[in-house]
Amino acid sequence: MAEERAPNGKDFDPVGAFREVRDNYLDAWAKTMVDAVNTEAYAKATGTMLDTYLTASSPFREALEKAMLQALQQLSMPSRADFISLAERLTNVEMKLDDLDAKLDEIQKTLKKPASAAPLRAAAPAARNRRKGAK
Amino acid sequence: MAEAAVVGEQFFQLAEKLNAFNKAVTTKVPIAQTPKQLVWSLNKAKLYHYVPVLPKEKRHPIPLILIFALMNRPYILDLRPGHSFVEFMVHQGYDLYLLDWGAPGPEDKNLKFDDYTLDYMPRAIRKMKSIAESEEFSMLGWCIGAILATVYSALRPDDGLRNLILLTAPLDFSDKQGITFARWVDERFFDVDKVLAATGNMPGGMIDYGAKALKPVDNYVLNYLKLWDNLDNPQVVEAWKAMNTWVTDNVDLAAGAFRQLVVDLYRNDLLMKGEWIIRGERVDLKKIRASLLTVIAQADHITPPCQSEAIMTKVSSTDKELFRVRGGHIGIMAGSGADKITWPHMEAWLRARSG
Repeated sequence: MAEERAPNGKDFDPVGAFREVRDNYLDAWAKTMVDAVNTEAYAKATGTMLDTYLTASSPFREALEKAMLQALQQLSMPSRADFISLAERLTNVEMKLDDLDAKLDEIQKTLKKPASAAPLRAAAPAARNRRKGAK
Repeated sequence: MAEAAVVGEQFFQLAEKLNAFNKAVTTKVPIAQTPKQLVWSLNKAKLYHYVPVLPKEKRHPIPLILIFALMNRPYILDLRPGHSFVEFMVHQGYDLYLLDWGAPGPEDKNLKFDDYTLDYMPRAIRKMKSIAESEEFSMLGWCIGAILATVYSALRPDDGLRNLILLTAPLDFSDKQGITFARWVDERFFDVDKVLAATGNMPGGMIDYGAKALKPVDNYVLNYLKLWDNLDNPQVVEAWKAMNTWVTDNVDLAAGAFRQLVVDLYRNDLLMKGEWIIRGERVDLKKIRASLLTVIAQADHITPPCQSEAIMTKVSSTDKELFRVRGGHIGIMAGSGADKITWPHMEAWLRARSG
């Protein structure tokens, strides 16, 4: 059986043709969807869905939080709020430590400068004396 | 009989391809491989210093700090060896630092732009300047990181900032028709306080859904189809896996910062109006005097070009350039053409100002 050839003389590639059709269709679909999500109707629809979910789940979530808080109190254990407060305090302490660290760095740098300059100053009078003696 | 064998062979090939596809989609690849040292941390934030590869005399004296977005991992800047902006810059002799914001926990829900720009950034930059022994520095902010960099530059103009690079910076929110996110978070449709009351911080998954829903077919169909069509091309598969590793590694956004983003910026455009108050201080863009390079991705659907253009007329900088690149929000920095167009242009611009 002779191989099928496309009008341009190349071998007919059914997969390639299918891909081209597929890609064209997907491109068109992609553009349509970009336009669709960029509408007020889409924003309203997703907003409504999200709002409905949050409204429906809110009583359960609140009840669970309340029950958990009571259980933790009964067991004399710290709650999430306690941990949050503690973590915030730790971050504040970290910031203070960081500032102290930076100040120490500065002090160290300042101390290093005169230390390296001191021998020069100390050497200066001796040098002057030597020059005087030479005269 | 022969036809049955052919069908069997084809079925076997399809099963093999499906297996390879599944493996590519589910496996994570090593990312962020450029050697670095942790030099500073505060809460979840970490400052990394990349190990220089050139001797000191061949390096640029002005250090560069990278500020990435709050809701994604910053390793997109150091995606994989051979295709990493960080690796590229280190080899060009830059003393490079990366500020990684980390993932906020429930205890960080009150963190706002105020805290990031006035508590975290000044301290990280102070540390960088101390290590680099330089009073001047350059800063590159990308996406939300560009908002942070801009606010910092305006609030601390005398802190030694010499060069500022803003990549796909969402700063101008005045064109409500041109910004899809602005439509979605419109107060008629989106109750930000109700969402945050339920979730604590803004979940990374929700933000990721929002970003992908801007181009649903591209992200949920074409992306996987591209992998399927190229399963026999190891280079494409490796690049796809690295990008997929990053895309699926989402970070929550602190509730306070998310609320500011929606209310102060997307809804009220306070930054461009010059009315944004950060910890009692007005963010005045005119105070920015550093040399400025703004990079815009022309096909950016997350930060449309209209959001990044106006900054050029608002700052006092006399040395400023607007550079437009063909590509998308992430593609211009991590796509296959990034190392030929975006990186060399930014590097050349910075090199001329880092002496």
